[in-house]
Amino acid sequence: MLRRLIEKDRPLRDVPLPVTIMLLLLFAVQLAWHSQQAPVVARAEDLPPPKSARTYVISSFGEPIATSKVLNLWLQAFDNQPGVSIPLHALDYKVVESWLDTILELDPRGHYPMLVATRVYGSVSDRDKQREMMEYIFYKFNENPNKNWRWLAEAVITAKHELKDMKLALKYANALSKLATGPNVPYWAKDMKIIVLEDMGEVEAAKILVGGLIESGEITDPYELKFLQHKIEVLEQKVSNIRQDVDK
Amino acid sequence: MFSKIFTISKFTIIESLRNRLLWLSLLVVAISFGLVEFIGDLAITEHRVTQVAILAAYLRLSAVVIVTLFVVSSSVRELQDKTLEMILAMPIHRSSYYLGKLCGFIQVAAIVAVIFSSLVLLYAEPFQVLIWGLSLLLELVLVVALGLVMLFTFNQIPAALTGVFVFYAAARTATSIYLMSKYPIISHTTIAQKFMDGFVEILTWLLPDLHRFTQTEWLAYNTADWSLLIPVLSQTLIYLLLLSAIALFDFYRKNF
Repeated sequence: MLRRLIEKDRPLRDVPLPVTIMLLLLFAVQLAWHSQQAPVVARAEDLPPPKSARTYVISSFGEPIATSKVLNLWLQAFDNQPGVSIPLHALDYKVVESWLDTILELDPRGHYPMLVATRVYGSVSDRDKQREMMEYIFYKFNENPNKNWRWLAEAVITAKHELKDMKLALKYANALSKLATGPNVPYWAKDMKIIVLEDMGEVEAAKILVGGLIESGEITDPYELKFLQHKIEVLEQKVSNIRQDVDK
Repeated sequence: MFSKIFTISKFTIIESLRNRLLWLSLLVVAISFGLVEFIGDLAITEHRVTQVAILAAYLRLSAVVIVTLFVVSSSVRELQDKTLEMILAMPIHRSSYYLGKLCGFIQVAAIVAVIFSSLVLLYAEPFQVLIWGLSLLLELVLVVALGLVMLFTFNQIPAALTGVFVFYAAARTATSIYLMSKYPIISHTTIAQKFMDGFVEILTWLLPDLHRFTQTEWLAYNTADWSLLIPVLSQTLIYLLLLSAIALFDFYRKNF
């Protein structure tokens, strides 16, 4: 086949000499020109602010969901620019948040931006930035509690274990129990407030809350009832231990 | 008349096979598969949704480009090789020639739609893929008719291709542009702005409503049902007839 391909064309000697010389000469000129260029240096670029969601819809010929998915991946990989790696906490979080908002506007059903907010931008070592991202998650939760409950549940864990801010964790857990009332929200998320109160040493308050929940009759799920009854037993045990310690 | 239409359409399909259109479509499918699997590795959540959304958008645009290139290049060759003159010298109506080419190209578009939908089946629900594939076919039918209109108008590959792509992009984005002009962030009352707003509104009246066609959302979130195809089918029929009337009007006036 190779032979056929070679023999298909006329022999090399049929090419006029000036043409061959010109080809070789210009190839050398291209190499020389490239060698004179300033070397390419890796330079970190700041995250630019996003355009409006409509602009992305138009520039993608009316494909908002596909664009949102591409933007997700682009934003997620922004810390890895050619030749440079930027720490995530060095990014301007206000700009990051506006990107996440734009992506959510393009695909309101998507969870990707919330996941990166929680587990990527919300897991940095800079506590201020982490706190800022938790507030962003809280804000988005308030916009649509039954969709974004699980991201706020993760924010409770982050506030409790990483930020060590029990008041903040309680604020989020409180919002979860009050606003995330949809049938898709599991009881462990709604009842996170009890666990936070328990961890804060507010055992009596947690016990009253659990008792109130059971008596309200709002909880019909047998597994949740079982969980709460078990919780009451654990809390009663803790209260009695505390009382014994005080008596001693 | 029908036998002539059938013969012309048959030879159009044979030409598409000789042009290796099938191989080109399969090559696009192979590239898309590799791309989507790579994207799947990058996504940290919504793995399937990310894959199918990007795949659907990529395949939709590729199908439009492939079909347009084929329609325009194959018809221009017939014009330039004088094959068209030879056919028209026979007792064949110009409308039969047009309908034959249209039917042939629609069947070629159907082959492309089936090949591309088969790949999407790996990532989405079969019923959703069926609706998406049918909608893609209807979209390609309009692209075929548009390609023929542009070709009869311009007779040149670059101009005809540019015409099709500009028209297609405008039809896909007209609704978004209209919404932007109707609900601006900062409202303007200048005459120029009012003229542009009016122009955009006229565009939405004249262009086919392509933003309803072949929506990625159907595959990503399983939202499609048969009822969604009714406006798509109606728009296709109306606009196909309109484009055919334009093409025939132009074709009957042409001197070769």
